[in-house]
Amino acid sequence: MRHVRTTGTAALAAVTTLVLAACSTSGEPGAEDNPDVLTVAAWMDIPEELLESFAEETGITVEVNSFPDGASAQTVLRNGLASDGAGLSDVHLVELDWWTEMMAVPEDWATLPEVEGRWVDWKVTQGSVEDEIKGYGTDIGPLAIAFDSELMEEAGLPSDPEGFAEFVGGRDATWESFLEAGRQFTEASDAYWTDSMTTPMQAAINLLPAAFEDPDTGNAIPMSENEPIREIFMRFAEEAQGQASAGIPIGHADWGAGFQAQQWATVITPAWMTGIIAENAAGIEGWMIADVFPEGGGNWGGSFVSVPATGDHVEQAIQLAAHLTSAEAAVAMFHENGQFPSQLEAMDDPAVSETANPFFNDQEVGGIYGQLAAEAGDAAAGGYRGVNFAGIQTLVTDGILRVEDGSQTPEQAWESVVANFDSLGLPTD
Amino acid sequence: MDTTTRPPRRIGLAGRSSRWDIRLSPYLYISPFFISFAIFGFFPIAFNVVVAMHSWHRRLGRGDFVGLDNFRWVLEQPAFWTSLQNTFSIFLLSMVPQLVLALAIAAFLDQNLRARTFWRMSVLVPFVVMPVATALIFGQVFGQFGLITPLIQDLGLFADVNSPFFQDRLLSHVAIATMVTFRWTGYNALIFLAAMQAVPRELYEAATIDGGGRLRQFISVTIPGIRPTMIFVVLTMTIGGLQIFDEARMYDGTGTGGSNDQWLTTVLYLFNLGFGDWPDRMGHAAAVAWLFALVIVVFTLINFALTRSIASSRSGPPQVPASVTKAVIAQAQASADASARAAAEAGVPSLVRTRRDPEEPTPSKDSDR
Repeated sequence: MRHVRTTGTAALAAVTTLVLAACSTSGEPGAEDNPDVLTVAAWMDIPEELLESFAEETGITVEVNSFPDGASAQTVLRNGLASDGAGLSDVHLVELDWWTEMMAVPEDWATLPEVEGRWVDWKVTQGSVEDEIKGYGTDIGPLAIAFDSELMEEAGLPSDPEGFAEFVGGRDATWESFLEAGRQFTEASDAYWTDSMTTPMQAAINLLPAAFEDPDTGNAIPMSENEPIREIFMRFAEEAQGQASAGIPIGHADWGAGFQAQQWATVITPAWMTGIIAENAAGIEGWMIADVFPEGGGNWGGSFVSVPATGDHVEQAIQLAAHLTSAEAAVAMFHENGQFPSQLEAMDDPAVSETANPFFNDQEVGGIYGQLAAEAGDAAAGGYRGVNFAGIQTLVTDGILRVEDGSQTPEQAWESVVANFDSLGLPTD
Repeated sequence: MDTTTRPPRRIGLAGRSSRWDIRLSPYLYISPFFISFAIFGFFPIAFNVVVAMHSWHRRLGRGDFVGLDNFRWVLEQPAFWTSLQNTFSIFLLSMVPQLVLALAIAAFLDQNLRARTFWRMSVLVPFVVMPVATALIFGQVFGQFGLITPLIQDLGLFADVNSPFFQDRLLSHVAIATMVTFRWTGYNALIFLAAMQAVPRELYEAATIDGGGRLRQFISVTIPGIRPTMIFVVLTMTIGGLQIFDEARMYDGTGTGGSNDQWLTTVLYLFNLGFGDWPDRMGHAAAVAWLFALVIVVFTLINFALTRSIASSRSGPPQVPASVTKAVIAQAQASADASARAAAEAGVPSLVRTRRDPEEPTPSKDSDR
């Protein structure tokens, strides 16, 4: 009998331990001693030499938790923040498009010490919440147009970068001149002008000072009264009806295959997308970058490195964040993924501006983007983005996609965008 | 000696505690299940009620109490109703081929095959493949430049549409249903196979002697023989099939269910609300969860009733209505009476007892032994 009782007590003890273990968190936040390993969550490759140099400096190994794309990294971050930091890495990459949403509670994130003169000013402003730096800038997304010179040549149109830039409007390029060039191209070719009209539309929306939300209140602007968005939407929707676009946006299962089948002649290309295009269009020759962009250029995306405040080793993680955003790191990231640096020193580095890119026919891609970024200036920072920016943007791009697949006319698509927006019942001014 | 009535021996404190031991220990032994169920099963369900009644921000947590407003909001969303239609459409498109294929494969594996175990293991291979991998591969197969689209476009179908399997609502359902069928058919086939093995072999021998062919044996012996399994499979298929998420989420790169909600299933809709672009819609997502749970319960009950009636129509001993039995007995007795009467008239002693005395107890089989 004693034996049985002992077992019973042991069982109780075991169960209690299990439950307690499940309820308590292990470790003290912000422990003093150095950890063996720090983790970084990212969806692009981080050059090996960066991780090694950090290990040499501090004795801390860095492990990369890699995600296939930004969206999946975003989902993990959303859920981690909602559950008080469970499952988060020590350092996270955050993209500009969902920056506001992640910063909804600034206390979730460690405040990073100022680093004098490392970045362009507007990048620091974007990465700050209430005057505290919450993210160190990695890259910015100056916009250019990538084009398939083979398809242009077949259509009997200018196929060299300078000629192409003139063809879409040159220095004075507008969306109208870009679309007009598309009409000429589709008349002469079987291919589409661009992958999807959602991309130029998004670039145009990014230039608005306050696209979907009121900067003063953070509330949404009623879609039925949002005249600038309606104009942009109708312009691209009307173009999307014909052969101007293939209706396959980046991220779609068919996007990579579309490059391989040479389905479209142009792609609106932020600097960070050059690496993605090179990967998806591998083996296709003729892709080039033209140093031209409608409406004087702009910025799309670009990321920040942030440190969740709930981490066990915040101090060391901040050190790592600084390491990953040094000028040398930015140059290494440019070579690895084509991301254009937001670090002043790296921007002017000949290793960025004068490196030939073998995929883009040995063009000096870094130099082209540097010039476009300089021309766009502070305007490249883009407008205000509230917490619902990403959600509303999805509604609008879905409208364009419905026109592209032929299921709706531009008017019907706009009406359904308005209806979808209204049914959400977002607070408006 | 009857040991159960013996009073328990008392041996002081140890004995007292050992009695507690006897009473308590069984509960402790089974407690892990109940504790883990309470934490991972009951608590989330109960908590979901609280969430569904409040406006709830993903990060900031509970907002105002809104009562049933979240449910009203969900019922007013066209996307919710679209998602229900899509779910049922995909479910039907996947369930029917799944049942037919699984039964056929199981019947095939039930034969005396060479390398039986190999075949049986191999039908389970698709089930072992990660659903995400399945979705990615099938997404490529059904893409504009995949295996199937160029074929049907060469036939002149959907020629002016890019990626018809992504644009057309019904075609996207077909594609997703194909993934579900690919994944679950082998699994169901093995369950059917296990049931088929339990059907008595004598029935097949008897059927063979009676001249029944393979098909006839399958319809008249196998199907009735696996009826309870059939019900089980259809019910689990209903619950699992309605909860379809992975395939729809991974079908294209964006994962939100299509620009026109073509393949937005209800669970995907729930996910989009709770964990997608909107930070403050947890309450709505919880409401969707409750409404959908209700739909599944109702639909499972309907399916249960249907399966029972279909599966029972050919099974068990032949069912003859009581009225027919009575009529036949009455007719037989009438003719017996008539012949007895005729025999009596002819002076022959009756061999047939004309009518059973109602008072006489019916002889039971047991009393014969």
